[in-house]
Amino acid sequence: MNPAHEHDESLSAFLDGELSDQQARSMIRRLGEDAVLRARYAEYCATGDILRGHRHDIPDLTDKIMAALDQEPTLLAPVKKPPNRRPMLWLAAAATAAIAWGLWSTAPRQETAVPLAAATPPSDVVPYLAAHQDYAQSVVTQPEMNYSLVSLSGAAR
Amino acid sequence: MSDREIDLQLVERVREGDKRAFGLLVEKYRRKIIRLLSRMVRDPDDLEDIAQDTFIKAYRALPQFRGDAAFYTWLYRIAVNTAKNHLVSRGKAMRTVSEQAVNDDDEPDERLVAQEIGTPETELLSKQVAIAVNEAVDALPEELRQAITLREMEGMSYEEIAEYMACPIGTVRSRIFRAREAIASKLRPILGTSKDKRW
Repeated sequence: MNPAHEHDESLSAFLDGELSDQQARSMIRRLGEDAVLRARYAEYCATGDILRGHRHDIPDLTDKIMAALDQEPTLLAPVKKPPNRRPMLWLAAAATAAIAWGLWSTAPRQETAVPLAAATPPSDVVPYLAAHQDYAQSVVTQPEMNYSLVSLSGAAR
Repeated sequence: MSDREIDLQLVERVREGDKRAFGLLVEKYRRKIIRLLSRMVRDPDDLEDIAQDTFIKAYRALPQFRGDAAFYTWLYRIAVNTAKNHLVSRGKAMRTVSEQAVNDDDEPDERLVAQEIGTPETELLSKQVAIAVNEAVDALPEELRQAITLREMEGMSYEEIAEYMACPIGTVRSRIFRAREAIASKLRPILGTSKDKRW
């Protein structure tokens, strides 16, 4: 099959909507550049219309219309602006921050364990701690609180 | 790419400044529009004016075409409105045709419409074309005639035709192409289409 013949067969398939998207776009480009191919296109359109019974025509109508369009300004529709992505960026940043905070706050701590009650308190505060342990939050287990109750006067009960 | 998607691609090309892409749309739909308008107007000169105006208005309005409807449906409405306005502005009556025949987007019922009009020259041309096509189709080998008929008149896809004719899709593609070429070669001298098309 020679290249011109192949183009014509592709054109025939194009008219039937049987080319892939890429092939169809390529064919549209070629039709814009190749007057011979456009003439074929016109013949194939006529063939289909006539077979379907659309036999009435106005000779050279397309040429007349295209000549009239030469007087018209070229259409250059405004290019569609890409949607404003800024709100989406903020939303994405906020979501990322929320997820990061959530992970951070629920992750088990790898902090160095500080044995709060394991350190031996200075001897002068022992009676004070013993006297107030009922009001303190229990951060250490009972066995670690080996303080005995004392009286305010310092005597052990 | 489907027929509708091809039209959208062509519209996009026109919007990008490619006027020739609009020529492809004109070539594709001119006979359908002429057929529609010939049911609405009596005077062949009006018919030509309205047909031209229809396509020029469509070109100007293309930036507003959103693609919600098929391109032909959109063009059809422009043609009907252009014809009505044209006739009202000249104080002429529309041909007595069924409103349904004009307003339906689908192919109207042939029984509902008035006969198409044309000048003696276009009538003669139409007859010559019809005879040439009939002769060309009759002369086709059976498998080509069947393939082109199923495609053009029944609107079947290549896949459907391949199944119906029990042959590969590539064979269907080739048969349809060869049938088109054979018919086009008979029409070429009558239609005056040539390889040095002006637009």
